[in-house]
Amino acid sequence: MKIGIYFCKCGTNISDKIDSEKVKTGLPSGPSELSFKTIDFMCSEDGKESLEKDIKENGIERVVVSACSPRDHENTFMRVLSKAGINPYLMQMVNVREQVAWVTEDNEKATEKAGRYINAAICRVELHDPLEKKEIDICPDVLVIGAGPAGLKTALSIAESGRKVVIVEKTPVIGGMPVRFEELFPNMECGPCMLEPVLGDILHGEHAENIELLTIAEVVDVVGSYGNFTVTVKQKPRYSDIHKCIGCGECIEPCPVSAKNIYNCNLSERKAISFPFAGALPNAPFIDEAICLKKKGYDCSLCKDACPVEDAIIFDDAERTIVRNVGAIVVAIGSDSYDCTKIPDLGYGKIPDVHTGVEFERILASNGPTYGEIQTSQGAAPKSVAIIHCVGSLDKEHKEYCSGICCQYAFKFNHLIENKLPGAKIHHFYKELVIPGKEDFHLYNHAKENPNSTFIRYNNIETLAVSEKEGKKIITNSADGSSVEADMVILCPAVVPTVESGKLGTILEATHDKFGFFEELHGRMDSTQSKIKGVYLAGTCQSPMDIQKTMNQGMAAAGYILSGLVAGRKLEIKPITAVVEEDRCSGCRVCVLVCPYKAVAYDTEKGSSVVNEVLCQGCGTCVAACPVGAIKGNHFTNNEILAEIEGVLS
Amino acid sequence: MTEQKTSFEPKIVGFLCNWCSYAGADKAGTAQSPYPPNVDVVKVMCSGRVDPQFVMKAFEKGADGVIILACHPGDCHYKEGNYRAAQRFRMLSRLLKQFGIEEGRCRFDYVSAGEGEKFVTVITDMVAAVRALGPLNKSEQAKTA
Ligand SMILES: Cc1cc2nc3c(=O)[nH]c(=O)nc-3n(C[C@H](O)[C@H](O)[C@H](O)COP(=O)(O)OP(=O)(O)OC[C@H]3O[C@@H](n4cnc5c(N)ncnc54)[C@H](O)[C@@H]3O)c2cc1C
Ligand code: SF4
Ligand code: SF4
Ligand code: FES
Repeated sequence: MKIGIYFCKCGTNISDKIDSEKVKTGLPSGPSELSFKTIDFMCSEDGKESLEKDIKENGIERVVVSACSPRDHENTFMRVLSKAGINPYLMQMVNVREQVAWVTEDNEKATEKAGRYINAAICRVELHDPLEKKEIDICPDVLVIGAGPAGLKTALSIAESGRKVVIVEKTPVIGGMPVRFEELFPNMECGPCMLEPVLGDILHGEHAENIELLTIAEVVDVVGSYGNFTVTVKQKPRYSDIHKCIGCGECIEPCPVSAKNIYNCNLSERKAISFPFAGALPNAPFIDEAICLKKKGYDCSLCKDACPVEDAIIFDDAERTIVRNVGAIVVAIGSDSYDCTKIPDLGYGKIPDVHTGVEFERILASNGPTYGEIQTSQGAAPKSVAIIHCVGSLDKEHKEYCSGICCQYAFKFNHLIENKLPGAKIHHFYKELVIPGKEDFHLYNHAKENPNSTFIRYNNIETLAVSEKEGKKIITNSADGSSVEADMVILCPAVVPTVESGKLGTILEATHDKFGFFEELHGRMDSTQSKIKGVYLAGTCQSPMDIQKTMNQGMAAAGYILSGLVAGRKLEIKPITAVVEEDRCSGCRVCVLVCPYKAVAYDTEKGSSVVNEVLCQGCGTCVAACPVGAIKGNHFTNNEILAEIEGVLS
Repeated sequence: MTEQKTSFEPKIVGFLCNWCSYAGADKAGTAQSPYPPNVDVVKVMCSGRVDPQFVMKAFEKGADGVIILACHPGDCHYKEGNYRAAQRFRMLSRLLKQFGIEEGRCRFDYVSAGEGEKFVTVITDMVAAVRALGPLNKSEQAKTA
């Protein structure tokens, strides 16, 4: 085997310390034929050219490059090898600049060390296998789970690029939380109006034909990996045809049964057929099968009789199983509010007029249970409102983190209460105030300037208690014995992961952080990628955040997908992966356990573990873990590494 | 005797993960911070790739010490390879003890890509520690004698 050793002088950076002549004379005498050349600046155009020329002219079969750090120029020289017609993996780079010349005081010792490294590289490169990048066909379509601001932003961007998107939304309505909010911080914009352009484009915009919207639907199974996922979705019947229905609502009035409306936080009732709330999109009512008389077997068809459009109401609508092939998945299922009954002294669920932030949003909304009137359970306008911030946030007993949005919506509430109930007293109970950002302080300043607003700091939520006396709510703080009266209490609970987050995580094999939010690949660098390749995260399913960040993450997810998965372009798989030698595998499945990317699976038919090359990142953990040595780590095989060890020691 | 000790140059093999520790070593290089030349680096993609047999091989082939450097906990490029490596290292330490190889000869530490200075300190300490222990075979003989 003919091995070319190319020694870069790097000007004087290397040659001042390391004597190339001595290195040359010290080369080992082994089975391979060695050729030693020095080059001035190997990474320069001239340098690369002479490297290429020498490889070609002298029939070099393996290359050792002694130069700078492979982190600088390994790729550069790999490309030269390709150009010279040999496999780029038949090279080993020796880092004599950063890790020898620049850090060794003694010239002789530096020269000796370079010699040892070059010797090791020769031993190693003799064993290198030519490796080829693989290419696989991909499906450029995308699945978006959750039709809140995050999911819709991603879906729309992808659709605008001409790609197909499937949106799976659990509820009958799209838009997520903010479409249920009358006004939004920081600029007091109307929530539904702000989102309307996005919602409208999703439903009937220029690119709507690229979007398949599945409401009242749920992802039940996902197989495959980045580039080629097969997704199974179960869609429950809506009993109305969203394309035929004209949204007139004629069907609602005749319906004889109703139940609590969860879309109004159970603060009002909803007929068995109705919209979740006025203005909800898609603009078609749905039937609640739990209470519909027809569904219970009675001979009722009052809604259908009232409907002016033929077949807009479909009584025999049934659950559907839908299977789609997609290349990437975006998780955008949002979040929930912390269960306030876990802090029982606050009276939530026991004392009337103690509401959560989301409930109060519905009370404020003109399409909500009170049509935007702030009323107590007695039907009166409150003269004073207490807003308790940090309910469960920044609290080791509950949620350690700051939810980041509560202070801001508390001051939004302050503003809205002021407008709707002039002169009403507003008491803010807070632990910390967190109002970052260039726009967000306005509402805070506004609240501070309001003479009717008071700010009361507490230390520990456990010392606060809400009680009721003659219709009045009394908020006491046992820490200092103080007490304040109010007609209504609003709790700002911590933002927490949804209950389904765990189940969906299992289906996707995506991991969660210690709080139960979907775990990002990297908190600063890659908060929109999950730890599973091809599964992206957007919005509050990843962490509490406001709509601005949510939208940004939605766009980031779209960006990753549009740049990574391109229709017609194949997905390149780097060859530095693990490979199981099937006949040696004992089936212990240690590898399946240790792989951080879930890239190894046990194939019962083959009776062996198998590595998914798309998912494998080449860390080699399974290679080291396999008790029978059945896994080969490409380009870092046991033999290659052992040869290198012997090489430096001989 | 003392003469011999000071002239003893320990041979140490260092297994460095590509993403943090190797980059940390490069950082020491760009800062041109000198350190003793006794540690020969073998790069692996992740500390999780370090198979105990590599360490055994190094000692067998004449290394006086072995050092494994990884990304800090939570920073592994492959999420958790360094946890596996740390687990394995604990096992390996027990094994080495059984072979009569002193604890100080095999070390596990964390060096991030930014910690050029830490790399220099860790390497300098390791070389000094192994130098104080003397050549491997000698100490082994001393044990068995
Ligand atoms: C009381 C309150 C007031 C707020 N006010 C403001 C404000 O004024 N300004 C501001 O910027 N931010 C505000 N926020 C924050 C804002 O609501 C969030 O930033 C935003 O809703 C996050 O959007 P998202 O798409 O991540 O999640 P969401 O809006 O929660 O949407 C998630 C969607 O996914 C669906 N879904 C859930 N689970 C599944 C599943 N398993 N399968 C399929 N679909 C699923 C849900 O039904 C929903 O449609 C407020 C938050 C609260 C709690
Ligand atoms: S660790 Fe090795 S033997 Fe065990 S299942 Fe994986 S490949 Fe097979
Ligand atoms: S090399 Fe790493 S990423 Fe690849 S299969 Fe093994 S453990 Fe998983
Ligand atoms: S990549 Fe550094 S320890 Fe895993």
